Amino acid sequence: MVDVFSTPIVVMMILGAVGMALPVINVLRREQGSNTFYAAIAFGALAAAIAFVLHQLAMGYVSATDVLSGDVIADDMLGSFFAIAMLIVAVFTTISSFSYMRGKKYPAVYYSLILLSTIGMVMVAYSNDLVVLFVAWELMSIPTYVLVGFNKRDPASNEAAIKYFMFGALASAVIIYAISIAYGLTGTTDIGGVIAGLGAIDASLVPLALLSGGLFIAGFGFKMGLVPFHMWLPDTYEGSPPPVAALLAAGTKKAGFAAAIRIVVIGMAALSIDWSLALAIIAVMTMTVGNVAAIMQKSISRMLAYSSIGHAGYILIGLAVAPYSASALPGTLLHVLNHAVMKGAAFVAIAGLVVALAATHIEKLRGLGRRMPITAIGITVSLLALAGVPPLNGFWSKLVLFGAAIDAGQEVFWGPWLAIAGVLNSALSLAYYGWIIRKMYFEDEAKAPRVHEPRAVVAVMLFSIAFIVGLGVYPEPAIEFARSAAPLVGIMP
Amino acid sequence: MVSHEFGAAAAWLVWIIPFAASLAMPAIAKWQLRPVGWAAIGAAALSAIMAASLLPGAISGSEVHDQTSWISAIGLEAGVLADPLAVIMANVVAWISLLIVIYSTGYMKGDPNIARFWFWMLFFIGSMQLIVLSDNLLQVFFGWEGVGLASYALIGFWYRDKKKDHVGQEGRRVLGMLDYYSPTHAGMKAFVMTKIGDVMMLAGMFLIFAFAGTFGFRELVADTAWATAMSAEGLLIPAAVLLFGGAVGKSSQFPLNEWLLEAMTGPTAVSALIHAATMVKAGVFLVARLGPLFFALGAAGILADQFFEIVAWVGAITALLLATQAIVNPEIKKVLAYSTGSQIGYMMMALGIAGLSEQFADGYTAGFFHLISHAMFKASLFMAAGSLLHIVGSRFMTDMGGLRRHLKKTYLFMWAAGLALMGAPFITTGFWSKDAVFAAVFESGSTWAMPIFAIAVITAIITAFYTTRMIGMVFFGPKSEHVKKREAAGHPIHEAPLSMWVPYGVLAAITIGLGIMGLAFEESLHDLFAEYLDGSFGIHAAHYTGDSVLPGFLSGLNPVALGASVAAFAGGIGLGYAFYIGRWVSPARIVNSNIVFYAIHKLFLNRWYINASIYWCFVVAPLWLARGVFRYFERTAIDYGMNTGFERAALWGAKVIQHTQTGVTQSYLYVFGAGLLFVALILLI
Repeated sequence: MVDVFSTPIVVMMILGAVGMALPVINVLRREQGSNTFYAAIAFGALAAAIAFVLHQLAMGYVSATDVLSGDVIADDMLGSFFAIAMLIVAVFTTISSFSYMRGKKYPAVYYSLILLSTIGMVMVAYSNDLVVLFVAWELMSIPTYVLVGFNKRDPASNEAAIKYFMFGALASAVIIYAISIAYGLTGTTDIGGVIAGLGAIDASLVPLALLSGGLFIAGFGFKMGLVPFHMWLPDTYEGSPPPVAALLAAGTKKAGFAAAIRIVVIGMAALSIDWSLALAIIAVMTMTVGNVAAIMQKSISRMLAYSSIGHAGYILIGLAVAPYSASALPGTLLHVLNHAVMKGAAFVAIAGLVVALAATHIEKLRGLGRRMPITAIGITVSLLALAGVPPLNGFWSKLVLFGAAIDAGQEVFWGPWLAIAGVLNSALSLAYYGWIIRKMYFEDEAKAPRVHEPRAVVAVMLFSIAFIVGLGVYPEPAIEFARSAAPLVGIMP
Repeated sequence: MVSHEFGAAAAWLVWIIPFAASLAMPAIAKWQLRPVGWAAIGAAALSAIMAASLLPGAISGSEVHDQTSWISAIGLEAGVLADPLAVIMANVVAWISLLIVIYSTGYMKGDPNIARFWFWMLFFIGSMQLIVLSDNLLQVFFGWEGVGLASYALIGFWYRDKKKDHVGQEGRRVLGMLDYYSPTHAGMKAFVMTKIGDVMMLAGMFLIFAFAGTFGFRELVADTAWATAMSAEGLLIPAAVLLFGGAVGKSSQFPLNEWLLEAMTGPTAVSALIHAATMVKAGVFLVARLGPLFFALGAAGILADQFFEIVAWVGAITALLLATQAIVNPEIKKVLAYSTGSQIGYMMMALGIAGLSEQFADGYTAGFFHLISHAMFKASLFMAAGSLLHIVGSRFMTDMGGLRRHLKKTYLFMWAAGLALMGAPFITTGFWSKDAVFAAVFESGSTWAMPIFAIAVITAIITAFYTTRMIGMVFFGPKSEHVKKREAAGHPIHEAPLSMWVPYGVLAAITIGLGIMGLAFEESLHDLFAEYLDGSFGIHAAHYTGDSVLPGFLSGLNPVALGASVAAFAGGIGLGYAFYIGRWVSPARIVNSNIVFYAIHKLFLNRWYINASIYWCFVVAPLWLARGVFRYFERTAIDYGMNTGFERAALWGAKVIQHTQTGVTQSYLYVFGAGLLFVALILLI
């Protein structure tokens, strides 16, 4: 039974009502502009949603993570954890749009689409049934196709949208195919039922079950940006409006992980067949391709796009070793949350650059430390955190993830190699993060004037710095939250 | 009785308040420049009140221990431990710091970088209180490094390296090494030298952690299996000595003592803070924290005698070594700095000898009592000296002279605090605490008791002498040329402002006031610590009840120690009076009269050649080596070999990937399909 006052339903109602109302208000007011007005409404709705999720958590109304509960929509810790990460990103996107969307057309539609996509993300995290999951997945994806192409006079934005859309359609088809095989094998769409059913199928049908799993990995892997399903990603992130890139990189990407944790990881344990080596290989490919390709990039948003491919690789380490180490999934969740804030903040900073300097080329970052001090320090802190420099939050989540991989070495020989690959990649990533920092602080152009920093960007920067440094110095609350939200996976012998 | 919850909150706040205030300083300064000093005073006062609120509980013998989970992933807890030792120390630090902060509002008036000054001062105090109130070694280490960082920033505060901010005589060389230091150099020297100790401490900490699995002081006492294991491996003493290495660096003990002199380049308020309340006392506190821990292991049959012997001897050597150099130095702040190192030597000596004696509590109390009394009189002396620098505009005592008629208050207070440093019998805290150290050494029954006792007495004579010399050179005799020139130029000599002389006046008054009740104070401190050592470490103690040769209220004292300390005082001040106050004999004539005196004078003035040797061995030689390595290894093997190789490989990889990213959607989709097949294949195989 779904409780009408459960967290996901109320969040959906808040965001849905406001999201649907925005275009209506627009029509009634009979005018185009007034970006701030709609942004404020959207921000209010998102803030209310976060407040509600936090309230439910604080009051203890949220049940422990249990994939096998049989609910269609589970009001559990796992969903709430992802919901918080995604809502933070949606707030970042909205706030940075205060300045980015100023003077642009159709603000009401823009914010409405953000809210609707956010509902989709949150529902993916909460859904416990394949059909609901798929509906939520589409609700999340379709608004983002439009958002990516929102600058419709800009060819890059159009190209980004069409590539994204084609891949999205392909991925949706793959997911549907996976669902239909799973349904055919088990006769149910309830995730708990599917997992239980897969555990008991006839040996001759196991290849089909595996195919279904492979299709799930490919379908979700598209959103996560896993190699080799990543080709669309750099072009799309670069071409889309930076606030939307933040939403994609830090938000919808995480929905892929939420879905994968519910289906792939837990299903893996049930099938008692080793899928983890496949995930491990993909993880190493993903992080290596992402980080190596990032080195040569001249556009900071494209560089961050590759960097987020790299980070998908780190996060995937946790999924790969989940059957062998109890700290793998907490590490995954922790890095999901941290990456959402770090990467979200970095893209918001780029939105600020686009507004203030109309450029994302790395050479334009020269002397930014003096020209836009707060944006520059925000970029610096988030890049260092992405590289995993202590004492910032990214250090701890990487520590837990790599620790889990080493831990898994007791069961599988390749566990420590995952950690080594992760560490080498982190070191490599410092090369291009450091390059940006160097441009901002050590290569100054004396004549360039100080630039006004958009207040919205400054607000996001200050919040992110506090978050990154705060959870770096005192990571305990985040680790504890991640641990309580992570589902228990049967540890394989 | 204060409730436990409030006590815990207060113990946290004692160090959190200064940190928070220090972080707020730049913002406060940005909005309004003038009241920054008031904000600093407010924060220091609030912290001091929090510390004071812990006192009643500590005196009644209870302790506050509050823990919270810090990083559970690696099993770390953060906590505060407000036992009698920590609470008394916290109060000494907090109240003296408060007075120094008040003094600084006068001393630093008009400095354009005042916000930076306050930031680091409060950071300094917060770090010290973190050391004092932490319940585990790791947290102590955070404070430890904070103290080091703050001292670096404050010693080099006047980073423009103006001539008047240097120490030493311009152009003077010892063994070819310049004995004249700029503030930035001095800051770096302090940082690097103390860092050597820090690294040793870190190694000691982790050695113990490797066996005990905890950094917590209480946990280490509760289960001593770690010590048995370490002792079996022969690692216990090395670990203890490594930890002591941290204290040696921070407290400026031999052989890491040379940074303390150059630390005089900082504003005098900073010197007062370093010498009285924070930095150098941290080392003594660490030994006081750990000493009982190692001594208590004796109950389990593990003796740490070698550790205590090293502590006692390092203290004794430092006491004598630095006292001798104070005799000849012409700079007032340097004389006081030498004196600090020497007095800290007494404290180490007492804490070390405690571990070699049956009566642990005697030496322990003596050392800590000397810490308290030294904190008060040395803070007073430093602030007075700062006042003199301010008034006269020179750091050399030879530029002063004959000031007693103009500066009546400073003259009076300096005598009071100076008498405490000399150990003037019966009326000063310094006398009682030094006498306690003497008695503890004398009665310890250790094989080393007599040589160390002899060093202690000789040092006491020297101390009384150089203190008298300092006062004589500053306040007696004719006015120097420098002062006359200043007066002629329209700068009459007049007393420093109220905010400056009141703090050192207050401390001087307390030194005498507490000195009159000194014996009673010592008794109660002894009882408190005896109970604390018994309760927390199971170290039983009985107070000395020797033959009562002495009459009345002195009956508890050791007659030999008492006689020696009175005689040392009399001898030292008598000699000093003859040379520098009565001026019956010219010291220069004595020095030049024969080759032996001349050589000794030169040895002392050139710092026993230790400083110059350190520079040759650890600065000049490594620089040569480093240049060679740079030229013949770094430039060839590393730069042309490895760096270029890695770079090329990474760029090649990036190019390959860039070529696959064609931008053509069809090829992207093709890769997606191929990837799908790839995944299916891995799964099916």
